Amino acid sequence: MTDLAAPTTADQVREVAAQLRAQRQRQQRNAALLKHAFLILCTLIMLYPLIWLVLASFKPDNQIFNQALSLWPEEFKWQNYPEGWNGLAVSFTRFFGNSLFITILAVIGNVLSSSFAAYAFARLEFNGKNIFFAMMMMTLMIPYHVVLIPQYILFLNMGWVNSFLPLIVPKFLASDAFFVFLMVQFFRQLPRELDEAAMIDGCSPFKIYWAIIMPLSLPAVATASIFTFIWTWDDFLGPLVYLNNIDNYTAPLALRMFTSQDSVSEYGQMFAMSVLSILPIVLFFVVFQKFIIRGIAMSGLK
Amino acid sequence: MRKFLRRNWPAYTFLTPWFIGFFLLALGPILASLYFSFTNYDVINPPRWAGLENYEFMFTVDDRFMTSLRVTFAFVFLSVPAKLVFALVVAMVLDKGIRGISIYRALFYLPSILGGSVAVAVLWHQLFDFHGVINSFLGLFGIEGQYWLSDPQYSLYTIVLLAVWQFGSPMLIFLAGLRAIPQELYEAAEIDAAGKVRQFFSITIPLLAPVIFFNLVLQTIDAFKAFTQAFIISSGDGRPLDSLLFMTLYLYQEAFTYFRMGYASALAWVLLIIIAIFTGIAFWTSKYWVHYESERG
Amino acid sequence: MAGVSLREVVKRYGNVEAIHGIDLEVIDGEFLVLVGPSGCGKSTLLRMVAGLEEITDGTISIGDRVVNDVPASQRNLSMVFQSYALYPHMSVRRNLAFGLTNLKMPKPEIERRVAEAAKILQIGDLMERKPRQLSGGQKQRVAIGRAIVREPQLFLFDEPLSNLDAELRVQMRVELAGLYNRLGTTMIYVTHDQVEAMTMASRIAVLSAGNLEQLGTPVELYERPQNTFVATFIGSPKMNMISGAADKGGITIPDFGTLEVPGSVPNGAISVGVRPEQFCVGAGGDVSTKAKITLVEYLGSEAFVHVVLSSGAKLMVKASSHAAHKVGDELVLGINKAEAHYFGPDGLRLGYFDDDR
Repeated sequence: MTDLAAPTTADQVREVAAQLRAQRQRQQRNAALLKHAFLILCTLIMLYPLIWLVLASFKPDNQIFNQALSLWPEEFKWQNYPEGWNGLAVSFTRFFGNSLFITILAVIGNVLSSSFAAYAFARLEFNGKNIFFAMMMMTLMIPYHVVLIPQYILFLNMGWVNSFLPLIVPKFLASDAFFVFLMVQFFRQLPRELDEAAMIDGCSPFKIYWAIIMPLSLPAVATASIFTFIWTWDDFLGPLVYLNNIDNYTAPLALRMFTSQDSVSEYGQMFAMSVLSILPIVLFFVVFQKFIIRGIAMSGLK
Repeated sequence: MRKFLRRNWPAYTFLTPWFIGFFLLALGPILASLYFSFTNYDVINPPRWAGLENYEFMFTVDDRFMTSLRVTFAFVFLSVPAKLVFALVVAMVLDKGIRGISIYRALFYLPSILGGSVAVAVLWHQLFDFHGVINSFLGLFGIEGQYWLSDPQYSLYTIVLLAVWQFGSPMLIFLAGLRAIPQELYEAAEIDAAGKVRQFFSITIPLLAPVIFFNLVLQTIDAFKAFTQAFIISSGDGRPLDSLLFMTLYLYQEAFTYFRMGYASALAWVLLIIIAIFTGIAFWTSKYWVHYESERG
Repeated sequence: MAGVSLREVVKRYGNVEAIHGIDLEVIDGEFLVLVGPSGCGKSTLLRMVAGLEEITDGTISIGDRVVNDVPASQRNLSMVFQSYALYPHMSVRRNLAFGLTNLKMPKPEIERRVAEAAKILQIGDLMERKPRQLSGGQKQRVAIGRAIVREPQLFLFDEPLSNLDAELRVQMRVELAGLYNRLGTTMIYVTHDQVEAMTMASRIAVLSAGNLEQLGTPVELYERPQNTFVATFIGSPKMNMISGAADKGGITIPDFGTLEVPGSVPNGAISVGVRPEQFCVGAGGDVSTKAKITLVEYLGSEAFVHVVLSSGAKLMVKASSHAAHKVGDELVLGINKAEAHYFGPDGLRLGYFDDDR
């Protein structure tokens, strides 16, 4: 802090001002540099595992561990990918196909059933509305593990174990209250006058839902779809419990097969398949970043 | 009756999928699970009533259960505070309006979104292998590499690290919360002779309290439910020496490896009650330290 | 207590210059009002004095000290914000005491000051409430209280009354004036409302688009505005501006005629300013004309009469409320050349009769 006496002549003013300004600019630049250095360092540390993963997927096995610090592969072993693809008893085409099939159906089912329920809660009046809403919100607190066993028994008795059904059908029954809540919040923001105008025009509630509410809710639908996609694609416990036949395995299960033996020999292939299995998520993230981040922030601040 | 139907049938139609789901997949299973916890049930034979046997065994005889409690609690108490601290610190650095903030934000969040995946768990397994990158890196500084994954002393820390690596999600929420604090309050505090540290403790923290609370509860519940990482890294059974025997893992083993459904259900209920207790404590203490701006007194 | 010196103060945001080299001396112990339309830079200037905005160029001194790089917390000043900026999670008492606690003042002293401020502002029974439980006027008082407990050498006010309703605003104006009389500390007050400026200030600085248009007492600004901006900004209702031109020994304005002025008249457009109350209604004035009434605004104590001249020019005249003016009536208006204000083509004042005022 400079204890300068107040300048009197114009020249003095300019001199003092310039001096202080230069000092301040220097300080600001240093602070900004420090901050960026810190952030870049943090980012590198954070992303290092992922960077390593991608680069390791191109390395021949003997280079992965012995020269662990030289990130960049000396030779690009592209074959890790096709070899890994076929590295297990069943080709990854099947695994990714299964994952895709389940995930897409899950997205459709979730969006439909959640929006149905959300529409009822947000727009319609009916007996028991408050109680049902409370009940639905309470299911948010139930950890999956508590209902897992009885659900398993149920599906076992229905003969659904070892099929995709236990993973898909619940999505069509609005089993995830989080998405119902998300949609309810969104619907509440749409002006009621739209519904009223449509009603006067003779639309049934179903028509209102389909022709008015849903088209205006694309952001919420997009958010729900993205999160459902990511969570279902990555889901491990569900497929682990319900899919016993290797032909039905999803990508995560297949990946685990690579590691389930204590002595794994094909690291490169394993990494290659790992990269492929998270690629869809990364792509989704890059493309739909804004939705995802806004969705998280919204859920946090209600 | 007719009026009842006429008023309600559109709503009830829309709610049909949810109704089915709720009774079949939520309410039913919860009650069933409670019932099973008082039985011995191996799926092949019908459940046999056993009263409080399962719970007695759990708390008096079962060492593995105690281990799993210890492991799970250690994980929660190590990973959640660390995660929140990182999240808050980074959020505060990013909040000051830096160029490229959206890029940093996205990059920090990326691990969060990949976090639950098997691929990342597999990756982690290899990174911390004795011949893996971590040891090589430490070797550069002359630090001796350890058997991170096969030494029961260290194994849990690898998973804690994996969890803390995913601080991006609470970070985003903190960012949003920080943005909501009016800049003017900081200005007034500055004029009130408050330095940066004082401003942090007198303004930022109290006004961020609801967000801190939200993150705390959410992350704690998630931490108790952690499964995939532990499963993959411990090859499915909590090795080495049960040092990674998370409660969820133990539960899975009892149910799907040994088919002791009754006991597994009891374990599940204990987990549920623990989560409920923690959530309850959090809510109860929140009276004292969380201030909601929107209350009208 | 201290005076404030602004020398060639400039504020730039990137490439945009918001304040262009302002020189301003605030006299120790005066109540200076910075007034001007939105975006003129008055708040920015105030915030630079406070230390909340950086000074791009030039110097600001408080007392004898250049404060360009002195942080706000060390400038020994207080500020009242437009939106009060009360700490929402603290009680009124803690809000008042916060600054003093930061300065590590002994507790009895803090309590004394807080109690005294509470008494002056009559907020004694609100001490344990939280800000969300207070009305707008109460919040404003607490904000002012928070400013006075620090007993600073300088008070800054950033449009403190703008968020209050009209009645409350009048009441608070009186209270603030009373506060100034009581404390006598240097105060710099920002507002866009020229009524507040005129009633409260010892001196007024009129700002427009980053420039200081005129600095002077309310009387000076009212009776001798130095340019057309100040002339039309100060005074409500606004001064009428009539365009005229130089013409053999005087200024000719349409409809009225030629006003003889002592001194040369520059070439170009001349503006003649006449305040609504300066027209002679009926007979009188050096020049006069007939005008047709288009609207009468009756206010009880007076009437604002809107007229239109044959040339189409529109004027506003302040007339007695007793004369029954009606729309459509004809009115004779006169101008006294010695009372009118004259401005050249550059908008600056031509001081023809200024020595006689």
